[in-house]
Amino acid sequence: MTEAVFREFPDQSRTHSVPLSHVSLEMGHLYAEDFAHEAARLRAHFAEAGPWVDAVAVSAARATGGRRPRVSTCFLVDDYFAPFSSPADVVPALIGEAERAGLRIDYLVRESGLAEADGFPLARSVAGRLVESPPPGSNGVRPAAAETGWLANGRRSPASGPHADPSAPSGWHPPHETAARRHSVFLDAELWDGQGAGRTFSCAFLAAVWQLLRLGLLRHHGLPVLRPHPWDGSLPGTWEELPVVLQLNPKAAPFAAYRTCSLLPSGYLPVEHAVQVILEQIQVDAEALHQVAERSAAEGVHLPDSVAERASYIFYPGP
Amino acid sequence: MVLLGGEVRTRLLPTARPLRAAETARLLELRPDEPVHVSARPNAHALSPPRPVGVDCALPTPDGTRVRAVGTVLSQASVTGGRVVQAHARTGATAAGPDGRRPWGHYLTRPGVVEPLGKLPEGAVARGFLAGGGPGELDLGLIAQRLLTEVLRHPLPDRQEPLPTPRTRLRWVALWAADAEAPRLERFTIEGDELRTARLRLPYDAPPDAVAAFCADLALHDWLLTTLIAVLEEHPPGDPPEAGSGRVLRWVVDQLLHLWMPGVRLDERLAPLWHALERTPGFTRQWQALAQHVRDRTPRPVRCRWTNESEAGEACGRRAGYPK
Repeated sequence: MTEAVFREFPDQSRTHSVPLSHVSLEMGHLYAEDFAHEAARLRAHFAEAGPWVDAVAVSAARATGGRRPRVSTCFLVDDYFAPFSSPADVVPALIGEAERAGLRIDYLVRESGLAEADGFPLARSVAGRLVESPPPGSNGVRPAAAETGWLANGRRSPASGPHADPSAPSGWHPPHETAARRHSVFLDAELWDGQGAGRTFSCAFLAAVWQLLRLGLLRHHGLPVLRPHPWDGSLPGTWEELPVVLQLNPKAAPFAAYRTCSLLPSGYLPVEHAVQVILEQIQVDAEALHQVAERSAAEGVHLPDSVAERASYIFYPGP
Repeated sequence: MVLLGGEVRTRLLPTARPLRAAETARLLELRPDEPVHVSARPNAHALSPPRPVGVDCALPTPDGTRVRAVGTVLSQASVTGGRVVQAHARTGATAAGPDGRRPWGHYLTRPGVVEPLGKLPEGAVARGFLAGGGPGELDLGLIAQRLLTEVLRHPLPDRQEPLPTPRTRLRWVALWAADAEAPRLERFTIEGDELRTARLRLPYDAPPDAVAAFCADLALHDWLLTTLIAVLEEHPPGDPPEAGSGRVLRWVVDQLLHLWMPGVRLDERLAPLWHALERTPGFTRQWQALAQHVRDRTPRPVRCRWTNESEAGEACGRRAGYPK
């Protein structure tokens, strides 16, 4: 075919790449209630985290054939569900307690930025990429998660629907997990509540966005979103004034990585199960996925095709 | 893939005036992170990013052959001239697939493809796509309609049908064939007031996106022609003045006649498809004859650039649906 002489569009199709580490290690989440216990809770968390951080580095080295793996660490602060205190109070305490345990936080991230940052609705844009795994019998016309705000890993029990008749137990049918191994573990996750500007995203949905961000797979019109912002040492009085992804360590390995590992108390297990169910049903930018595959192959690092399988967890005892 | 099937639904945007480019782009923003392709030349056209929809169901077959397939259907919407809105659902089927369903991630990386469990009964499925899906079967028309409803739920600058016009459906199927050297439109059938079917045969290098774009273009021009025929039938020569024929014909001249541009965004490899339609039944020939007929019967004031009469100028300013 001959090349077209006339072009109307600027080249919108180009997808930019992001630098990648081998592993992005999340050293913890910080919620208002954690900080309410002052430094004691943080101290206990980092003491628990220390040995696992070392273990992750050792494990990552296995995948690089002995070469020193690039591991970046990050920490998530919840300023979305219950904004608390201020960066000026929290950040020095956080850095101090991590250092006390011999750990270093490379990147500090604000959770509200995963919902919306700089006027860009990141969570909403990820929601637009949900392509639900259809339970057998789906011909594409059932209400989509984008309308209901609920996402399941299989077929719901018809009896739990709005038309269920509680007086007719014989009409009950069990739910079914589509990828079940003989027996189902059915999960139905709430992605958000509220409508329009009043929509509040669930912790599970934002955690799925968080995984995609750390895996370097989010783009907006081909451009990477939420690039790390170097820290100049100043700390504002409110969280909104702080960049969403703040690079605390100037020598840190790249923020995004081939794989993620999250170090969390076991109370997060249900949320992270939901995160896996969400990740399995998001169609990520094909070009971004391709870039990551090419780069990892060039480094001799094996990566699973499934995005959900790139996320790993260490659950230590705790609420 | 051995065959592609799709359905395009076409109708007039229910607004008094044509939408501006920015309004159209907002209407078609199906995925906030992917751009709507807005084009101004050679005519105003906007195309949404494609949106995959997951399916796991029987493929349509008219003879009762059961074949389950898993994968995704691509749905996509477009607006031409700020006036005509189309919703399209399409998918391609592979010749064979494994006996069991694979992990969902496998299908997600192949948007717009469904894989049968076992072997695909190609002929039956091709006929099934043209006949439409039965209960529980893959129904591309319903998926297209769902998207059309969603797009039209967006706030519009005003909501009024400027003119009663047809709403058409084009079901199409395209088969790749080893012996096909050039793409061929084997059959284009007007099945009724609303339904049309098209059957294509393609060489192996025909890209699915371009084939779908051709079918949307065919549906658009068939809709234009159908609309013009309907308007002239509704307002025959000799209508009494109170029937309002003048106003309707003027509206058609203002809002629709310039939209006729078959094949302008067509992949060059598919050019023979339009040539066939131009030979028989002679799409453009019929359009030009009807368009000339409409212009001849349209009251003169609308051609304001040919006259300086102030009355004509006012009539021009009052053109149907345009704000002053």
